[in-house]
Amino acid sequence: ANDAFAEDFRLGLITPPNHIWTQNAEAFARAVEEATDGRHTVSVFPAQQLGNEAQMLQQMQTGALDMSFMTVAEVSNRAPEFGAFYAPFLVDDIEEAAEVLRSDEARSMLATLPQKVGVVGVGFGAAGLRQIVARDDIDSAGDLAGSKIRITPFQPIKDFYEALGTAPTPMPLSDVYDALANGQVDAIDMDLELIWQLGYTDHARTMLLSNHMMFPMLGLVSGRTWQALSEEDRAIISDLMAQAVDDCIRDYLEKEAQFLAEVEKSDIAIREVDAAFFRDAVDAWNAIWEPKAPNLAALRAIAAD
Amino acid sequence: MTGPADPADGPRRRPAGRPGPLGRVSGIVLRAEGVALTALMAAVTGLILLNVVTRTAGMALFWVDEAAIYAMIWAVFIGASMQIRLGAAIAVDLVPPLLPAGARRALAVLVAVLVLEFACTLLWLSWIWYDPLGLARVGFDIAAFSGATFNFIYAEPTVTVGVPKFLVWLVVPLVAATMTLHAFANLTDVLAGRDGPRLPDLEAA
Amino acid sequence: MVGAAFGLLLLAGVPIALVLAGSALFYILWSGQTVLLQSYAQQLFSSIESYGLLAIPLFMLTGELMNEGGITGRLVGMASAFMGRVKGGLAYINLVVNMMVASIMGSATAQMAVMSRAMVPAMEKEGYDRPFAAATTAAGSLLSPIIPPSMLFVIYGVLAQISIGDMFIAGILPGLLLALSFLVVLALIGTVKDLPRGRAMDAAGRWAAVRAGVPTLIIPVVIVGGIIGGIATPTESAAVAALAAFLIGRVLYKEMTFARIPVVLLRAGFNASIVVFIVATAGVFGWVIIYEQVPQALAARLAGLTQDPFVFLLLVNLGLIVVGMVIDGIAALILLVPILLPIAVQQYGIDPFHFGVVVCLNLVLGLLTPPVGAGLFVMTAMTGVRPGALVKALAPFLLASFSVLMLLSWQGWIVTVLIR
Ligand code: NA
Ligand code: NA
Repeated sequence: ANDAFAEDFRLGLITPPNHIWTQNAEAFARAVEEATDGRHTVSVFPAQQLGNEAQMLQQMQTGALDMSFMTVAEVSNRAPEFGAFYAPFLVDDIEEAAEVLRSDEARSMLATLPQKVGVVGVGFGAAGLRQIVARDDIDSAGDLAGSKIRITPFQPIKDFYEALGTAPTPMPLSDVYDALANGQVDAIDMDLELIWQLGYTDHARTMLLSNHMMFPMLGLVSGRTWQALSEEDRAIISDLMAQAVDDCIRDYLEKEAQFLAEVEKSDIAIREVDAAFFRDAVDAWNAIWEPKAPNLAALRAIAAD
Repeated sequence: MTGPADPADGPRRRPAGRPGPLGRVSGIVLRAEGVALTALMAAVTGLILLNVVTRTAGMALFWVDEAAIYAMIWAVFIGASMQIRLGAAIAVDLVPPLLPAGARRALAVLVAVLVLEFACTLLWLSWIWYDPLGLARVGFDIAAFSGATFNFIYAEPTVTVGVPKFLVWLVVPLVAATMTLHAFANLTDVLAGRDGPRLPDLEAA
Repeated sequence: MVGAAFGLLLLAGVPIALVLAGSALFYILWSGQTVLLQSYAQQLFSSIESYGLLAIPLFMLTGELMNEGGITGRLVGMASAFMGRVKGGLAYINLVVNMMVASIMGSATAQMAVMSRAMVPAMEKEGYDRPFAAATTAAGSLLSPIIPPSMLFVIYGVLAQISIGDMFIAGILPGLLLALSFLVVLALIGTVKDLPRGRAMDAAGRWAAVRAGVPTLIIPVVIVGGIIGGIATPTESAAVAALAAFLIGRVLYKEMTFARIPVVLLRAGFNASIVVFIVATAGVFGWVIIYEQVPQALAARLAGLTQDPFVFLLLVNLGLIVVGMVIDGIAALILLVPILLPIAVQQYGIDPFHFGVVVCLNLVLGLLTPPVGAGLFVMTAMTGVRPGALVKALAPFLLASFSVLMLLSWQGWIVTVLIR
């Protein structure tokens, strides 16, 4: 590829227009245009316009889609070692999550992505830590047993909720409000930002403020798009995108407390719980995933620092 | 417009003529599709009812929703293939009634050819999607195939039902093939001035 | 270019599903983005990989079972006993029943499937012509996504990041207004046309009709009770309703037999496949034109045309009506809200709830506007009325809906008064 090579890249993501991810994706698009003097542009397709994450990943594999900000969840369905990031209570708060995601150990895991998944990972971002919102009063983990809990569909979180004796139910975001309102699910796994903004507190009595899991995101470039780029363009795009996804982490560091304050304004009962609340489920998860996720020990060490 | 599935108001038509050899093969496939569609509808209903029962009993099953969706999609695609043969797919028929008989027949042939062309294209698109020769070339090694072709179809998992996704997607090539067969049978019927089968014929069988 | 190909294929009489799928292919080849061909077949599959769509085959099954089991006839017989000799009585009953069902169901097409099976044969039997009966039913079903609960409102709420509960409340007054406008249409039609009156019944006849019909009420009770009690979701309630319809037809009326089950399943599945396959192909079509940023470009041009919020909303309405002619509601919503909402809120200061109700109502009307409207297809498949005749009979109802839409665009407080 030569320097005159100009392209309008397409970047897809699932979050709505006002979401932190989308805003940083748009900032990235402006930065690329500026850094290449308008030679390259990036069109952002928010809110699943081009399909859900599985579809977008497939489109990146064929080269139809050039870039995306994608949950590590979707990637971990194809590269299981990324399950390490979902170890329950790996981090205590969003500050520790930032440390783990910004570590060299985390970055080193990106090396096998092109070959395994057909995409190039440039860096990590994140959303807020996960909480549980339930329709009923929850006094112990036993109260959750046998109930249906909405999850983002991927294996590590499914294993956690199965270990807890519940029936994890995958469901797209657009169905969650109704499902919680009419009892299709008894509880949902969600972050504070969306719990507040999408009004999930309307039809729930309890929020377990558990911070039980982090929810990392990856800035990805299609392997085919990457091959066609010059060395110089690769450097520009990967630097700017790594910065944009890292800015998502920065934004959550700033705003997580504010989201919690908003949730506290609703009528929902908030129960702060820790690993002990979930009893054997955490150990059961570790037994499944420690063999599959070789980086887990190193990530734990970073979090414990 | 043509093709309401309700026999009460269907367009007047000639009695179905004796089908040619292609029509007979298409007829056998059509009957098999009818059986499959019936079974899949029963599965959709049964799975959703199972969901109600197990959740009420506090023993919710997490794979039911996804399985029900796949059963519905298979039913829809198989139904789509049947629609082609049964002339039941909804179309705008403002123009044909206004034309003289000769032109109307020419247009009918054109439409039959276009439908055939679409079915063949879908078959070809399924072929490049599944790339069976490419897979055979690397000795059916899925990792090698994905790495060499950037085609990750065989590596894609389903979310909860525990089978590889390419098995679920198989309905697309399957229906592309049956649709091609039905479209051929339609074309021979149109050229021979015969009417093809309709839904009530199938229900009676 | 693609528009011309689309129009020609459509007029030639190619099935609508294949016109959509074919135009998408044609556009891919014409624009040179052949990389999309790799994903085409999969996209066709995944555009209907949706839990909400399950309601369509299940409610179609309920409709078939209600007819086979003799439930429909008894339901209407009972309603007629109450209505007496009022002119157009059954048409009013149709609307009122639709309103009640709308407070249960969230999808217009699913409601059309149920209500057309229940109401159209009954109205025909009383002497209404079938297109009018179908049009009344279709119009009544438009209330489904406006009167809460509503699938469209949920998706809008997620896209706009506003409270879905408030969005539901915002839909109440517009929904009642829409229902009122339909009642007015019926009254006006009654003055120019000679609509059938209900049969006069003596007290014994009424009692017999009511006694025969009361068990049918188990079905709505099962649906409402199941949803309110958290036992079944709206989708699941469709399956429960089918089971209830079967049991009532089998045990109480003894008109349904086990031997008929395969035929009923086949017919319901086949009719559902007609509708849902069009949704699949519309999904691929939408995917290709979004990829090429066609709607995005149109929306951007729209925004440059005026400074006045009301004029902007009128332009949005106009644009959406055009979009709604070829793309169906939910796809259009996902496509356009991310583009139009920021412009509406930031540039024109329009309330997001106001904007949402206007956009959703507009897209709901798109279900019944030719050439592509899922509602038209459902009604055609379920009743056998030709779309031309259906659109003609629908015209007064659509006119009334557009008046309501204009009123809501102009007077936003009707939407927001209950939530402010
Ligand atoms: Na509704
Ligand atoms: Na339309």
